[in-house]
This record gives sequence, structure tokens and C-alpha cells, in this order.
Amino acid sequence: MTAAPTEYSPRVSRGAYLRLGRELMGLAWKRVPGRVVLVFGLQAVQVGLTAAIALGMRSTVNDAIQGRAHSALVAGVVVALACTSSMFCTSLVGGSTLYAVEKTALLDLMPQVHRDIATLEGIEHLERTDVLDRLTVVRTGMWMLMFGLFSAVRVFFTVLQLGVTLLLLGSIDPWLMSLLVFAGVPLWWERLGKRGVIRAETDTAEQVRLQRHLFEVATTAGSGKEIRVAGSGTEIARLQRAAFDEAVEGRYRALVRASVLKLAGWILFTLGFAGSLWLIVYRAAHGHGSIGDIVLSITVATTLRTALQGTVSESSGAAQAGRVIAPYLWLRAYVAEERARVQGTAMPPETLSEGLVFEDVTYVYPGTDRKAVDGLNLTIPPGSVVAIVGEYGSGKTTLVKLLEKFYRPTSGRILVDGTDLAALDTDAWRARSAAAFQDFGRFKTVFSHNVGFGDLPRLEDRAAVQAAVADANAQELVRRLPQGLDTELGTETGGVDLSEGQWQKAALARASMRTSPLLFVLDEPTASLDAPSEQEIFERYMVRARSLSRRTGAITIIVSHRFSTVAGADLILVLADGKLVETGRHDQLVDLPGGRYADLYGLQAAAYSAS
Amino acid sequence: MTYQTLRGLTRCARDAGGRLLTGLGILILLQNLAPAGLALATALLIGRVQHAVPSDLVAATTVPLIVFALVLGIGHAADAALEPLVYLGAFRIDGAYRARITELAATSPTVDRLEDPESQRLVRAARADPVNWTERTPGTGVMALIHIAAVFAGAVASCAVLAGFAWWLVPLIFLPALAQWCILARRHQSFMHNWRASRREMQRGNVWERTAADPGTSKDIRVYGLGDWIADSIQTHIRTAFEPIWAKLTAKDEWQVFLLVGLPFSVALAVVGHDAATGRTTVAVESAVLAAGWSIFQSLGWTDTTISVTSAGECLAAYEELRQVLEPAAVPAAVLAPDAAAAAPRELPDRVPLIAFEGLGFRYPGTERTVLHSVDLEIKPGELLALVGLNGAGKSTLIKLLSMLYTPTSGRITADGLDIASYGHEAWRSRISVVFQDFVKYELSAAQNVLLGRGNLAPDFEELELAAEEAGFGEVLSRLPAGWDTPLARTRTGGVDLSGGQWQQVVLTRALYALRKGAKLLVLDEPTAHLDVRTEFEVFQRLAERRGEASIVLISHRLSTVRYADRIVLLDGGRITDSGTHEELLARGGEYARMFAIQAERFQAGYDDHIEEGELL
Repeated sequence: MTAAPTEYSPRVSRGAYLRLGRELMGLAWKRVPGRVVLVFGLQAVQVGLTAAIALGMRSTVNDAIQGRAHSALVAGVVVALACTSSMFCTSLVGGSTLYAVEKTALLDLMPQVHRDIATLEGIEHLERTDVLDRLTVVRTGMWMLMFGLFSAVRVFFTVLQLGVTLLLLGSIDPWLMSLLVFAGVPLWWERLGKRGVIRAETDTAEQVRLQRHLFEVATTAGSGKEIRVAGSGTEIARLQRAAFDEAVEGRYRALVRASVLKLAGWILFTLGFAGSLWLIVYRAAHGHGSIGDIVLSITVATTLRTALQGTVSESSGAAQAGRVIAPYLWLRAYVAEERARVQGTAMPPETLSEGLVFEDVTYVYPGTDRKAVDGLNLTIPPGSVVAIVGEYGSGKTTLVKLLEKFYRPTSGRILVDGTDLAALDTDAWRARSAAAFQDFGRFKTVFSHNVGFGDLPRLEDRAAVQAAVADANAQELVRRLPQGLDTELGTETGGVDLSEGQWQKAALARASMRTSPLLFVLDEPTASLDAPSEQEIFERYMVRARSLSRRTGAITIIVSHRFSTVAGADLILVLADGKLVETGRHDQLVDLPGGRYADLYGLQAAAYSAS
Repeated sequence: MTYQTLRGLTRCARDAGGRLLTGLGILILLQNLAPAGLALATALLIGRVQHAVPSDLVAATTVPLIVFALVLGIGHAADAALEPLVYLGAFRIDGAYRARITELAATSPTVDRLEDPESQRLVRAARADPVNWTERTPGTGVMALIHIAAVFAGAVASCAVLAGFAWWLVPLIFLPALAQWCILARRHQSFMHNWRASRREMQRGNVWERTAADPGTSKDIRVYGLGDWIADSIQTHIRTAFEPIWAKLTAKDEWQVFLLVGLPFSVALAVVGHDAATGRTTVAVESAVLAAGWSIFQSLGWTDTTISVTSAGECLAAYEELRQVLEPAAVPAAVLAPDAAAAAPRELPDRVPLIAFEGLGFRYPGTERTVLHSVDLEIKPGELLALVGLNGAGKSTLIKLLSMLYTPTSGRITADGLDIASYGHEAWRSRISVVFQDFVKYELSAAQNVLLGRGNLAPDFEELELAAEEAGFGEVLSRLPAGWDTPLARTRTGGVDLSGGQWQQVVLTRALYALRKGAKLLVLDEPTAHLDVRTEFEVFQRLAERRGEASIVLISHRLSTVRYADRIVLLDGGRITDSGTHEELLARGGEYARMFAIQAERFQAGYDDHIEEGELL
């Protein structure tokens, strides 16, 4: 079993957390320095205001008791303004945080992630479902990452606020600082409860997804047909409700546990607080301190509680971000490793003169030990049309992907006119190829771009696009589109939806855009087309293949299970379990006794024989 | 906050259950009355402290201290208890609400209304599954409504405390606080609308984001070097969407808080402080005013709840509209069953019926294009009938009409001489089973995937096994880690993904199960597209064995399969153009014969292995 490149680990070291935090804050600082200053500055001010409010309250009460009308009036105004300022700060900090988070996440973090995903040389990162899940978390989680950072900042200031509060209490009587213990326990219990809730959310995520799936199934017209005929609508609504209720039940139980813990904690706090008040009253009775102290400690205790609860919710916000951090750091390490691999620099030849040579090429999918291509030795002469035949999983598509440098061989090498493919500049090599794949791309944009993407510099070249459309026999399709070439595709954005066959024609047209490829790949390109279309396209592409072959020695590779496309090839490769089992022309293979090709052909021919 | 929204939310609230709602209401009220209570308790405490003789102080304050601790404790308790209850309340409401949409959408008699893009838009608007902060669910809306009511009740209680000092404090503090609440609510709403205005651009950005990470598209992106182009285009969409939002996200109105909160509160505290110092009032009252006044400003400073109510209202309005569109009552009975509008649904005899299409015509509502022109066709009991034709020839429409998923524009379908509409949707559909081209892949267990072929009947595991055996599903089943209980989706715990061919076998088992549970007509729309040639032939033979117990209609593009049907019908441009056995059609030398000959010839010359529908032209 080969090791997957850059193993994923859900654990992140403290150092990595801090480094990432510093880096993200640096990004925010560069993007919105003013807002970052506001967030830090105003939160610091708020810490000061906490003290000002408490002290102001004490003096209004004390001044009033001592009959100092003017001071009492001023102190009252000070308290009112301090309270208002605190409200002002909260609002401004909230708004600025949102602003900083959005801008940094959307303009700095996300673009890099998308660019990395779209421009890595290989595609292995998009073909493993576990990796795809991780990528989805990263793609959609950049906000959460930034929010987590700002939550952490807030936790820091809340802790400062706690410190100031305790100092104030301590200024009345050092014993009052013991209230910290009564506050610390609820904090701890509340965190415990929150953690349970997050765990419950993870545990019930499957049920949430299931209910969403059943809702989709029930409300989509396509599946609605079958559901109605089967009479299953009510049952599906029941299953959906059951999944929903199960998820809610699990989360509710965790919330109840959290709530009991929280309640116990706050009752403890209330008792401690009542005790502190009693202490202050007792001191006042013995001539220490003032009534103002009572007001101060009541105020402070309220702040204490708000601060503690703030700490809990903000730190659970930061914990949410933790789910994104590990996948994000993994992606960056993976990208760094991929980009650090030796990149080819050689330019592809103008024309092919020796063709393609496979030297003992083996490919093993990362994380598995199955050889998708197994010790392939093969020479493809320049200018030839090659057909690859084989059952599902025989390695047909892998072979093509190796040629397009989507994968690098695990061992062995592929030579292009004597140069190792790995040594060729990937972009330059791909710029000299064109391909239509079985699971071709569907770009939800205007039709003309779907074609024009085949030769990006000529994206807006209407004549070139029209010519490619004609090559793919798609003029009729374009004519029937409401806005012709300018028709928007994809229902999600209000466009038209194409059928499988129509998308396929768009993909074929795209493959016809480049004028002088050295490698032309058609991977089951016509599976969804009707036979006349297929036939016509195939004939056109054969003509094209021959003319390319004359001009540049281009090699055309066709992967197909249809004999109509296979029989006319110069060379047929029959693959089984990643190995090359038969090669030759149709007339050589069809009569091979016991041959795979002959067997497959015979089976299908029988179905059409006169009965 | 319209009347409609209030009524809708009140109706939804019932789903939370009376006891829960009552408990919730009491707790929220307690939570919001706590500040006023604390203000009073503080005043009580301070009053006692101020006027007690120092030696009696401890004794005199015991009761006020206990009262204070109780009020504080009750506030905390309400706080703690509310979290799970609010969650439960909101999600009970949403659970019931979503199940209503599911049932509504999945059980409306015909499918044409659900297909309408407008209905789909309504489903999205009503679904209550928020994808961003501007979308709220009815459950959240109900909770917000309760919360708003409680906040105002709390404010009123605090006002009462203020009135204990002077009546004019009430308008002095409450009115600006209310104004502040309204302004903030408006600001929130407009922020929400700004967001929504950019939704289209956000969606476009999203589409490209998914395109960039799509495994299929990733190959095109690399061969054609589109990575950077796409990354740039995502950026452009994001900027276009968010720049107007950011432009309005300024702090320029934040100063208003000093006018609406700072000024009145300063006046109040200055006057109260002055009066307490000059003996016109007590320090106890002063501290009560301080606490109560501030709590009013604070509780009316949070207005996220208004967004919840508005947004939940939009959700409910969409649901209401959807209900009008989909509910059976919207379809006049006369359209459903022209000749049996008044009569009660007839009983279906328990035998394979003779089905006849009599002058059947269909045109999509609101379009000019006629899909079917007066089709006359019989499906004899126990017959294996093959239906072939070009894309758009009307095959799928014919099947939908046969399943009563659409209502014919003209003509009718009869079973043993009676219009199928007269039996009613449910009864008729219990006699048919259709394998659609886009069959449903439930992310449920293998067993459920089969049993949902007849979801309205109690699960019958004996028939399930027999159907599996008949469909040749055993081999796939033996490879499932938990057998019948294996979920058929990798996203489920212990689940697996099946290949296209394996799914097709699941679906065939599903159809055969329906036959065993009483279906008398099986319709297969390209059942073998994903099967390899060997398996296809096996499947076909198994099906052919079943004819007699049920009629079978087969739609296929592979003429090599179709040739073995009892009768082959050619559909072209919404009309039947030819009909007969393979041999008859060959002998007649018509279109079918021509096509088959060309096909076979081409194949023998090393060409195509299967005939596509297009070749029939």
C-alpha cells in the first residue's frame, strides 16, 4: 500500500494554532487596518468602562447619602454616559468584526483556496471522497476560521474584564475575590455542557443529512413521479420526520444535560454572591465600607456573569473554527508539497516524430494497493488512431489520465518523442492536447463559453466557436436554444438545462477548439448521443484525426465500448485488470481464437443475427 | 410584521405542544421580569441597610438578602432551562412544518404542478432549511415572537419600577428606548435586504466554486488551463455581490445611541442622583431607577428577533402559496375524472386488465406544442409490449399519463373498459409499477430501497426475499457488509455506494416487489442502460418469464433486446406509426425493418452494438 501524500491528522499542535492565528490576523491587518484597530481598541476601552460604571455607581449612591447634590448629579451623568459608551462599543466591535471577517475571508482566504484546488497539477485530491469532504469543509469554512480568530480575541478581552472586576471586588475586601471560585466552577461546568452539545451535533449530523435528502427526494419533480406511482409519499414524509426528530432528540438531550450543569453552576454562583453581599453588609454594620459598596458589588457581579457567559460562548465559537483548522492546514501542506515536486520544464515538440512509448508503466491509486495500470509496455506510432477497449475498471481511463499528467506513474515512464513526460512543462504539454471525457465538465455559464473554454485565448472568438460547434454536429442544438450561443446554462442560475447528450455535444465542441494538438483524447465521448449523431461525429473526427496526423503527427486516442468507433482504428488495445492483453487491428483481433475482443464482439453480433 | 405572519406563526406554534409552550412562556417571562425584580430587591436591600441601626443591620438585611438571592437564582434558572426548551420548541415546530411540505409535495395527485419552475421556487422559499443568516424557520419565528412579547412585558415591569419614583421617567426612558428598538430593527431589515439583493451574484460565485472542485470538471479545467480564469471569475462575482453590502456597512449612524440612550439616561440619573442627595427621594429608589432604567435600554437594544419573524413570515407565505398550487382541492373534480366526477371510486378487479388508450392527446398547459396526437393503443393482459421512438416522440409522456401523473388533454385511458380516473389515483397506481429512467436512489437501507416500491403497504420481508431472488439481486446483496440493512450511500454510517449497474438491479428488485404486492402492469423505461450486454440479456429473460402474471411495457433503445417483445410499437412525433411483432415489422419492410437492417448490417461490418432511438428516423 502506498502512502497517501501528506497524511491527514485531525489533531493540530498548539504552536500551529498560534502561528495560524498570527498569520490570519496579519491578513486582516493588511486588508482592513482601521477595523482591526477598532476591534482591539474599543474592546480595551470596554474593559475600562466596566470599571468606570461600577465606580460611578458607587459614588452616585455615596454622594447621595452624604447629600452632595452636585457630585451625585455629575456621577449620575458619568454612569449614564459610560453605560451608553459601552453599548456603542459593543455595537461597533460587532459590526467591525463582521466587516473584517467577511473581507479577509472572501478576498484573501477563499480565493487562494479556490485557486489551489483548481490549479494543482494532479487531480488525485478531487477523486477521493474523504479528501473531497475535507475540501468542502475548507471551501465553505473560511468565514468560520476568521470568526474563530476574532472570538479568540474577544475571549482575551473578556478575561481582562474578569480581572478588572475581581480587582474592584478586591478593593472592597480581598475576601471577595473568592467569588472567582464560585464563578470558575459554573464556567467549567458550562464548558463541559457545551462540549457535549457540540458532540451531539456531530453525532446527529447524519440524521440531519438524511432528512434533508428525503426532503429533496419528496419535493423534486423527477423523483416525485416514482414516489407517486409507488404510493410512498406518506411513508417518505414519515421517514423524513423520524430522521429529523431523531436528530432533534439527540441534540435536545445534550442541551438538557448542559442546562442542568449550567443551572447547578449558577446556583452555586448565586449562593456565593449572596454570601459576598452578606459579607459587605456585615462589614458596613461594623463601620467598614459604604452602601455604595453594595451597589458596586451588585453591578460588578452582573458584569461578572455576563463576562463569564461571554467567555463560554466565544470560546465555543473558536472551537467551531477548530473543525476547519485541521483540514485547512492539511490542504496547505498538500498544496505546498505538490508545488514543491519537480516540475517539468522541457517544451513539447512542434510535431510528433517518434510517438508515445510506455516503459513498464504502473499506477497505483493513493491509499490503495490495487494496480490500476500494471507494467504497461507499449509503443504508439505518431499519427495513429488508437482505440482502447476493456471492461469497467480495466484501466482505460487511467491510461488517458496518465497521458494528460493528471497522475504521475507510480513506476516506469512515458516518453513523448523520447522525452520523459514528467520532464515536459505541464501547461505547455496540455496546451498541445485536447480531450473530451466520459464525465466531462458542465460549466453553468453561457453556451459559447462552454465551447470557447477549449481554447481560452479565443474564448470570445465567435467564428472559432461556431466552427467547433459544427465539428461536434451541434448546430441544430444551438439553433434550438432560446438565445443561441449566448444561452445561459444551468437552472440554478436561471438558465436552461441541457440533456446528457446535449452536454456531451458541448464537451465535444470544446475539444475541437484547439487547432494543432499533438494528443487528442475521446474517452467514451458519445455514450449519450443517438446513433446518427454518433456516426456523423465519429466520421468527422476521423477526418480530423487524419489531417492532424498529417500536419503534426498527432495521436488520437479513443476509449469506447462500441465497435462502431473501435473497428476503424489503426491500433486496438484490449485492457484487462490494468494489463494489456491484446493489441492489433480489428481484422486481426476479431478472429483470434479465445480472444477477449472476439468474445465481446461475438456476443453482441449474435443479438443482431437473423433469428 | 403583518397579520398574515402572526396568524401563520400562531398556527405553527401549536406543533410545539401546549405544555411546552406554556412552560416556555412562563420561563421567558420570568427571565425578562428578573431585571425589574432585581431592581426592586436591590432597592429593598439598600433601604434596609440605610435605615437600620448598625447593631441590627445583619438581622434587618437577612430577608432582603434572601429575596435578592431568590430573584437572582430564578433568573439564572429560567436562563438555563430555556436553552433546551427553546431549541425543542423551535425544532418541533420546524419538524412538523417540514414534514407537512414533504407530504404535500410527495402526495399531490399529479406531478405536473410540482414540475413547474414556479412551484420549485416556492419549495425552495418554503423549505425552512436556512443556508444563510437571512433565512429563518417558522420555529425560530415563533420563538422570536414569544421573545419579543416577553421583552416588552419585562420593559413594562421595569417602567412600573421607574414610575415608583416619578411618572415622567417612564416616557423619558421608554420612548427613546422604543425608538432605538425601531431604528435598529429597521437597520437589521435593510441589511437583510442588501444581502438578498446580492443573492444572485453570490449564487453565481457559488456555482463556480463548486465547478472548481468538481471531480468531472477538474479534468477539463486542467487540459484547457482554466484554473486561474475560474479563480478570477469567482473573485469577480464575490466582489460584485459584497461590495455594495460592505459599502453600506458603515459606522456612521452608531452615534445615535448617545442621543437615544445617553441623553435620556443621563437626565434621569442626574435628576434622581440630585433628588436623592437633597432628600427628595431615597437612595434605595435611586438604585432601583438606575437598574430598571438600564435594563429597559438593554432589553430593547437587541432586535435580531424581528428578522426572524419577518423571514419566517416569508417562509410561511411561500408554503401557503405552494399549498394552493399543489393541494388536490385546486384541481376541479371534473378534470380529474370527467365521466365519474360524482361517482365514488370504483373497485378494481384483481386481475391483469386490458388497458386501452383511446384517442389520447396531450399538450403541456400553457404551451402550444402538442406532445401526443390522438394515440390509440391496447395493452393486452399479459403482453410484453415494446415502445420505441425518437427523443421527444412522447414515450415518457405516454407513461406519465398511464401513471395518472398528468391528466390527458383529450381522450382517455381505460382499464377493462372503464376510465382509469374513475378508480382514483391511489387504487390505480397500486396496480402498476414503473421503473423510470431517473429512478430514485434513497440514501436508506437496501431493504428500504426495495420496500419503497410499495411504500404505502406494510413491509413484507418474505416477498422482499423472493423479489430479490427473481431479480438476481443476490450477488450484489452478498457483497453488502450488513446485507439488507446496509445503507446505500457512503455518507451513511456503514453505507456503501453502488455502481450504476448495481443500482439498476436494486430498482428491478423494487419493481418485482411491487408486482408481488399486487401490481399488474410493469413499465420499464430503459431499464438496462447501465447494464453490460451479458447482464442485460439475463434481466430481459427473467422479465419475459413474468409475462402472463402481469403486462409489461418496455422502452428501450437497444433493438437487440426489443426484438423479443410480443409486440413492438413505434412512436413518432406523438403518433403511433407502426406496430407488430419483430418478424411482422421486418416482413412489412417499413421503417423498423429498414432501421434494424441498417443496424445489423453496420454491426456485422464491425459497427454499432446497439441501436439508438435516433436511428428510427
